[in-house]
Amino acid sequence: MNIYIQAAAQISAQEPLSHAWFQHPLPLSERYVRSVEPDYKEYINPMEARRMGKILKRALATSLNVVRKTGINQPDAIITGTGLGCIENTEKFLTAMVRDKEMYLQPTYFMQSTHNTISSQIALHLKCNKYNTTYAQRGISFESSLLDAYMQFELEKIRTALVAGYDEMTPDYFVLLDKINYWKKGEVNEAILRKSDSVGAISGEASACFMLENKKSNLSVCELKGIDILYNPNQKRIKDALEELLGKHNLCIEDIDVVMTGINGDKDNDAVYNELERNLFPSIPLAWYKHLVGESFTASGLAMFISTMALQEQVLPASYLYNGSSAIQGLKNILIYNHFQNKEHSFILLSSC
Amino acid sequence: MMSERILVTGMGIISGLGYGKQATLDALCSKHSGIGKMKYLQTIHNYYPVSEVPMSDAEMMDSLGISSQTIITRTPLLGIMALKEAFIEAYLDKERPRRIAFINGTTVGGMEKSEQYYPDFQNTEAYIAAHDCGTSCEAIAEYFDGFDMITTISTACSSAANAIILGANLLKTGRVDVAIVGGTECLSKFHLNGFSTLMILDKEACKPFDAKRVGLNLGEGAAYLVLEKEQHAKQRGVQPICILSGYANTCDAYHQTASSPDGQGAYLAMHNALEDAHLHPHDIDYINAHGTGTQNNDLSEGTAIMRVFNDNIPPVSSTKSFTGHTTSAAGSVESIISILALLHNFIPANLNFNNPMPELSFCPVKDTLTKKMQHVLTNSFGFGGNDSACIFSKID
Repeated sequence: MNIYIQAAAQISAQEPLSHAWFQHPLPLSERYVRSVEPDYKEYINPMEARRMGKILKRALATSLNVVRKTGINQPDAIITGTGLGCIENTEKFLTAMVRDKEMYLQPTYFMQSTHNTISSQIALHLKCNKYNTTYAQRGISFESSLLDAYMQFELEKIRTALVAGYDEMTPDYFVLLDKINYWKKGEVNEAILRKSDSVGAISGEASACFMLENKKSNLSVCELKGIDILYNPNQKRIKDALEELLGKHNLCIEDIDVVMTGINGDKDNDAVYNELERNLFPSIPLAWYKHLVGESFTASGLAMFISTMALQEQVLPASYLYNGSSAIQGLKNILIYNHFQNKEHSFILLSSC
Repeated sequence: MMSERILVTGMGIISGLGYGKQATLDALCSKHSGIGKMKYLQTIHNYYPVSEVPMSDAEMMDSLGISSQTIITRTPLLGIMALKEAFIEAYLDKERPRRIAFINGTTVGGMEKSEQYYPDFQNTEAYIAAHDCGTSCEAIAEYFDGFDMITTISTACSSAANAIILGANLLKTGRVDVAIVGGTECLSKFHLNGFSTLMILDKEACKPFDAKRVGLNLGEGAAYLVLEKEQHAKQRGVQPICILSGYANTCDAYHQTASSPDGQGAYLAMHNALEDAHLHPHDIDYINAHGTGTQNNDLSEGTAIMRVFNDNIPPVSSTKSFTGHTTSAAGSVESIISILALLHNFIPANLNFNNPMPELSFCPVKDTLTKKMQHVLTNSFGFGGNDSACIFSKID
């Protein structure tokens, strides 16, 4: 069984619905970074767009973008990962409910508050009656979606799948998470994040969408070789799981060209990657991306977008390198490693095709 | 090629009918509904009947040996209660297989606390991190410890059914040895007000499939099934309960909160589940309907049942007339109810039914029926048209 990434689209702090920025991403210098919104007119009727929350617009635009690129308008599965779901609509309903003491409420925001609004709106737009689901497990929400799709390819239940990760961060929720030290205090820049000597990361938003297919074509960007998620693993469990995944493809750890890590400047978060580097990847270059897109529950979706671009362009520019300073040329295998609070761990193996 | 059978080897449940399978069975057989006056949820809309779990958070924490200082919300507490029963039945409390997956369904996570402390969580900051759905899953996993992977499915009222589907796929691909699947959701003002603004709550006990039905009653609860392959169950020496013989997930793709008039999503879910189970419509002995009691759902689902089963419609009932709509947990709550019916050869009643719907060719089962059964089908549908169906069969 082979799974190919046929198209990818993203909306983030970088240029939306584009990969032109991949070679020269913009550095971030604020602790709360929202996505750059594209012109939605090409994808959504403006009347309809006005009634939609940000996350829904981003989801529809990225989904329709990969549908158009591939011509696959009836994917066998639509699977979304989102840690917080439609938090903007949830907040609007919650705020009104608390403020007006459960009176005078309108259903609109409630109707579009559930996490699965995203997958179902995509299905609604494509009039697609097939498999449709949504995952919401903190930092492995996107990976859970990918795993679901991967297994259904394996079981030959599907031939195509639209898999995505979406998260928005509202000003109010940013403030709440700031109270519990999710975000860096004070000034932020790459040098400060590299030090990993304080708590908190840059708050970002993520929209990353992929069309997967079991057949290689001239559209194929790279191959999805494997995906695994682990809960509370020790170093041995991680090593075993990784070797098992690599072994299936006759690969070993040394065959990995670069490990795309979730290093984000938070000292506890980054210490986990340092330990992994010592135990598992002592001779493999580490890359990072959260200094360019910020942290969010589905930031790893953007890691997959960036890795997909690197395999297509056969270069990982220096901006993404955590250790080492010159771009890596000629890439064959990229391992995306992410963890959330050292509880949920995940890795994704992508290979050139 | 027939793949190895997926067996259910443990079940645990808590709902308005009480704690455990025996309490659930007793209530179903004696037609004793859990729907009644609100006791624990604090809301101005306390005139709506609900089906509450008859235990306070403190009582649950006490019975579970969880310190009263622990930061935990009601949704994972219900989950732990239910999972504990399943754990013991499947012998997981004695010997742990190496790779256990825990797949939880939930929609609003820690909302029941967030809505109390919103907007600034003054002196209750610890509950900020308990808001998202994934935290509920983590809280349950932490109590039992030793799970190899966890994740949360959030497809509103079909969440638990989709957890069953993911668990089965994890087993079929050989990724895990055991999959614990289901869902949990407590009552919240958020849900009550949300459904109230949609004007789909009945101020009296709900009347699924009745021509004069006006809406649903909310419920709360949690239920989990332990799934594993036949050979693995045999090796562990655990007594199998039944077979998960088929399942399907489809999307109605019609409207964000309404079901299509022809029930296309529901039709495909039942049709594809039958195909997955290699069964014919006439093989099904009982349909545990999604049957919320809303005008829209029951017509759409009823139409879909007629399309799938034609002239051979098996007995149908909605046990939401007992448990209320347990939202994210409904898929596993009703799977366990269906399995209890299968094992004990009875059809639970569809309470409060009096007037046949003119659009439908069938009526739900009004009184508990005795029937020898081999295969049961249960439907779970969610907002956004996330429709799923599961089929459970007796072990021959």
